[in-house]
Amino acid sequence: MRLLPPRQLVPCLLLTAVFVGLPATQIVAAEGQLIPLAKNVQLNFRDSVWQLLVDHVTDEATIDRTHAVQFQTSNDAVAIVSQMGVVQAVGDGNCQITLRLDNLMATVDVTVLNCKNTRPTTFERDVIPILSRFGCNGSGCHGKAEGQNGFKLSVFGFDPDADFNAITQEGRGRRIFPAAAEQSLLLQKVSGQMPHGGGVRIESERAEFDLLREWVVAGALRATPDTATVDRIEITPADRLMAFDQNQVTQVTAFYSDGLSRDVTNLVQFHSNRPAIGNVDADGIVITGTTAGTAAVMATFMGHVDVLQITVPQPGESIDDSGFDEFNYIDRFVNRNLKRLNIGPSNQADDATFLRRVYLDLIGTLPSAEESRQFLGKKDPKRRQQLVAELMERPEFADYWALKWADLLHVNRRALGHKNANAYYRWIHRSFAENMPLDQFAKEIVTAEGALRDVPAGNLFKVVTKPNEVASALSQVFMGVRIECAQCHHHPFDRWGQSDYYGMQAFFTQVSFKKSDRGELLLASGKQKTNHPRTGEAVFAHGLGEAMPEEEMEGDRRKEFASWLTSESNPWFARNMTNRVWGHFMGRGIVEPVDDLRLTNPPSNPELLEALAAQFKGNQYDLRKLILDITASAAYQRSNEVLQTNRGDQRNYSRFAFKSLPAEVLLDAVCQVTGVPEKFDGVPAGSRAIQLWDSEVPHEFLRLFGRPIRVTACECERVSEPTVSQVLHAFNSPRVQSKLSRPDGTIAKLCRKGLADSELIDELYLSYFSRLPDEKEREAVLKYVKSRSDRTKAFEDVAWSMLNSLEFLFNH
Amino acid sequence: MTNNRRFCDGIARRDFLRIGAAGASALSIPALLQSQAAAAADGKDDVSFIFLFLKGGLSTIDSWDMKPDAPAEFRGEFDPIDTAVPGIQLCEHLPTLAKHTDLFSLVRSFGHSNSGHGPADHYMLTAYHPQAGFNANLMPNNQRPSHGSVISRQLGPRGSVPPYVSLPNMHGSGGASYLGASHSPFVVNADPNSPGFKVPDLVPPLDVSADRLDNRRELYSTINKFAGSVESQFNAKANALDTFQQKAFDLITSPKTRKAFDLSQEPTKLRDRYGRTTLGQSCLMARRLVEAGVRSVFINHYNWDTHYNNFHVLKNDLFPHLDHGMSTLLWDLKQRGMLEKTVVLVTGEFGRTPRINKDAGRDHWGPSSAIAMAGGGIKGGQVIGASDARAEKPATKPYGPEDLAATIYHLLGIPPTTEFHTAEGRPVPIVPGHGRVIQELI
Repeated sequence: MRLLPPRQLVPCLLLTAVFVGLPATQIVAAEGQLIPLAKNVQLNFRDSVWQLLVDHVTDEATIDRTHAVQFQTSNDAVAIVSQMGVVQAVGDGNCQITLRLDNLMATVDVTVLNCKNTRPTTFERDVIPILSRFGCNGSGCHGKAEGQNGFKLSVFGFDPDADFNAITQEGRGRRIFPAAAEQSLLLQKVSGQMPHGGGVRIESERAEFDLLREWVVAGALRATPDTATVDRIEITPADRLMAFDQNQVTQVTAFYSDGLSRDVTNLVQFHSNRPAIGNVDADGIVITGTTAGTAAVMATFMGHVDVLQITVPQPGESIDDSGFDEFNYIDRFVNRNLKRLNIGPSNQADDATFLRRVYLDLIGTLPSAEESRQFLGKKDPKRRQQLVAELMERPEFADYWALKWADLLHVNRRALGHKNANAYYRWIHRSFAENMPLDQFAKEIVTAEGALRDVPAGNLFKVVTKPNEVASALSQVFMGVRIECAQCHHHPFDRWGQSDYYGMQAFFTQVSFKKSDRGELLLASGKQKTNHPRTGEAVFAHGLGEAMPEEEMEGDRRKEFASWLTSESNPWFARNMTNRVWGHFMGRGIVEPVDDLRLTNPPSNPELLEALAAQFKGNQYDLRKLILDITASAAYQRSNEVLQTNRGDQRNYSRFAFKSLPAEVLLDAVCQVTGVPEKFDGVPAGSRAIQLWDSEVPHEFLRLFGRPIRVTACECERVSEPTVSQVLHAFNSPRVQSKLSRPDGTIAKLCRKGLADSELIDELYLSYFSRLPDEKEREAVLKYVKSRSDRTKAFEDVAWSMLNSLEFLFNH
Repeated sequence: MTNNRRFCDGIARRDFLRIGAAGASALSIPALLQSQAAAAADGKDDVSFIFLFLKGGLSTIDSWDMKPDAPAEFRGEFDPIDTAVPGIQLCEHLPTLAKHTDLFSLVRSFGHSNSGHGPADHYMLTAYHPQAGFNANLMPNNQRPSHGSVISRQLGPRGSVPPYVSLPNMHGSGGASYLGASHSPFVVNADPNSPGFKVPDLVPPLDVSADRLDNRRELYSTINKFAGSVESQFNAKANALDTFQQKAFDLITSPKTRKAFDLSQEPTKLRDRYGRTTLGQSCLMARRLVEAGVRSVFINHYNWDTHYNNFHVLKNDLFPHLDHGMSTLLWDLKQRGMLEKTVVLVTGEFGRTPRINKDAGRDHWGPSSAIAMAGGGIKGGQVIGASDARAEKPATKPYGPEDLAATIYHLLGIPPTTEFHTAEGRPVPIVPGHGRVIQELI
């Protein structure tokens, strides 16, 4: 009998000892029911195993008790069971496993088949999963491009031919010795019997080591071509509501192409996206911490991924959600999630806060003192929505959104030349000014053809020139899917493999440029072929997750890509667009990073993302309608106030986040409040920073505050982390100081105007903070001004303090 | 039955799991206090750390660990020369360092598992190999705190100068991660070798006198309503900026800081001896900063990624800079009696391929390199370990970034077993479990 690895067999005696040492949570459970998650188990082949999972279900909760339950088999000639709940096939037949927890009981029926046949141990089915599970073919070890110490494996085992060759042929044949298996380098190294740079990976006591040895002894077999391959894997449970400091045992099944399935829990690699909420160990046991929120625990096996969603609510009295504001459909989903997590939302922000927030978010511009005064005097109950609608008609709206998209679409003067880059930018700008539907926006870029002067959108193909890079960039920008990993190997955290990558690349291989009397022409025609780099077989253009067609399509393949991308059924386009826009307004995407949609980075609120995407599609991809919805929600209009019940929350929109101002927005704000504009090289006088189409206009302030240089399609290129250098610049730089003290600046002008001190203070508060000071603030500032001999300088100091306060430097 | 041994392992694992997070976190706070006490008791709380990082990857087979007997396609164009310490040879193009081999030691059996710039940098600067989701392009990109941040957090500032300085600029992996904004480096953002060098914006403009700055600071604390508020405390970015502003005030108002950054106070002759290069003047600045009380200086020196024309570039450009800068730094520290109290580390993120490529260059090579260390209790004039005949891998007990970090922390009086908590309460040791102090160095 093959011996089970440690997870699966633990004798009763020792187990009891462990329980004795446990805290008092292991009390006698007398109520409720024991529910096994699989009520029937079928095992194929001798020694195959199955991890049982057992829930204890009461009126209050469902809790995993797999490790507390006593298991007993009715027939140990058919199957045995360990006290960890692992059933193992012994002989053909049927038996029953009884589960007991104090007075509660349940049963599982087990059928064992094919025990007379020993399934041969093969490289594909058995060895590669072990090498993956123990990190041998990881990207930090033998899996990296140059291998490790002369031994190279394909990363995560995507290339079995090469790996088999590396193990059986290379290394002067010393890696395996079927005749004297123990002498095989493979076995000696993994178990640390010989010095191994990677240390001991698999102790020689483990069942996986036995399996490797068996494989060597049996003559290092490979799977035959008709051997079943893995179709998908499934982790059980699929989602779980858990409390603090709880454990959850998991089970993973692999489904094979021949219709059979097996338990691969022991061969899976586990990873949690938020270990503080729910960590997972190498054996797939999830442990919650003392932080509320949601986490995704992913299991990967042979290029397949599945995810277990953990929800850990804030403990304590259940929050009453009857008073949660619900302004539109968005709030329904946000509130439902908050209720589920037992997190309370902050109150609605006042008008002044809302005013400043929407100005900065929609048009990247602060309201002027006059604009603030006007809005704060309004009583119309629809004033907030009206303001949003007005702002979207302003020219700064297109300026700001064009700036954002010029980053992502690489408007790069150095790569394109002045004229082309400017035309490209103007096209983007016009699209937002005219509120072009975003599906059309994407289509016009993707399918641009002809003279560049007529189709400036085609400049994307001049900045991103290689077909594979175009495929990666467009995937990331329009779908939020990052496929670069799959260029060289199977994506480690998603389902994309090389066929997917080269299938995407094939859409763009026809693009070429030609000189003509109308300037440069973008052409997309021809029969360019794409081959799989490993197999050499032809790969025809096809979208991610789609089946490859029988033959290459005719004509410009990009047209096919564009209709696939923007079709109703594309799973990413609408979700990615809405997620980006949501992230822009809320400070954090429902999927975060906003351009990294993948199976293993699930949305914090999937229903909300679906609802936004559906609405967006229904509105024909209208950006402005989406913005109206988001800004009209209670979630967006909340204050930043921290409550006892939401202080730990950063992801569920229970209060408004402090958002850093983009470099250009902050610079414009400084110029506006001080009344001293900046002069930029190469653009008309009076241009504002958010109007700069070229991200390389030299400017120290913009550089320091994180302006991107537009070389990637990643939103992360724009740095929003604060630094000491930024602080010093705002505190001390002659640039900022001179704006405060110039005779033609706001301070000097106001001081000459003959306003009373308190009027001047009000003016500054409105201009910097879009609000009036409260009495205490006004008194304090008045006191300061009166104590100084030079009134103008005193007000400079006031302005300096305001400019450096968090209230000014953030959108909150 | 052989089962028993398996059970032991299984139980240990279970046991740990069942104790759970509560048990583990309870261990850590005392450990932290303990390490502070230990540092003080050892009288080591005055040891500083200078990390000269040769970004891109120093070719150690052409410098610290030459292989004259290897085949031509490995050994390269340079010859080794004898040095002040019998038995130790260095590259012929490092003649000044050769005169000072008594001041530093080499670990020749060094290496690690990553040969990509971004992840290898993170590994070398933090002792942790990056995990899924690592993005080298972020600034900072730390999943774990850098050495300098750990030292800052653990030993705190010494006087009015910042505890951790990075020059001439910031390295992506030089950040503080979950130790928080107050332990990220103060970044100089200017080349100490440039003619009008000064730290940008460190000093207020002329028309803002010291009195006026004080007034402003007071007024600002009244107006800045979110400073120290619960709102900024529970927002990472606002909290970081709030912290940085307090730090910035301390910096601006400290004459000691200004003086430390003022290289013009050094004699011309000494400045020349360091070399009028970015590397040389950065070394000099590092010495001044340590003298002023900075605990940890990170020098981010670029251009060591010699895929092309390795030998030409090293011989004519990089090696002379390193030769003068590093040798003068060690000599100068020694002269001033500071070497015993200053750990100096010189390394890139990895070595370079022993086999020369088609462009007369060398590519990335994580598995084998050599590092140079001096001061702070390290015995000079030693060679620890050896690489194999072609410098492809360590031939003796291999050391890696974990061991390096353990050694640095140990020399600074910080137990390598010290644990910190992430913002979410997860305990993480400053050195991964298997990191061991390189005892032979000490």
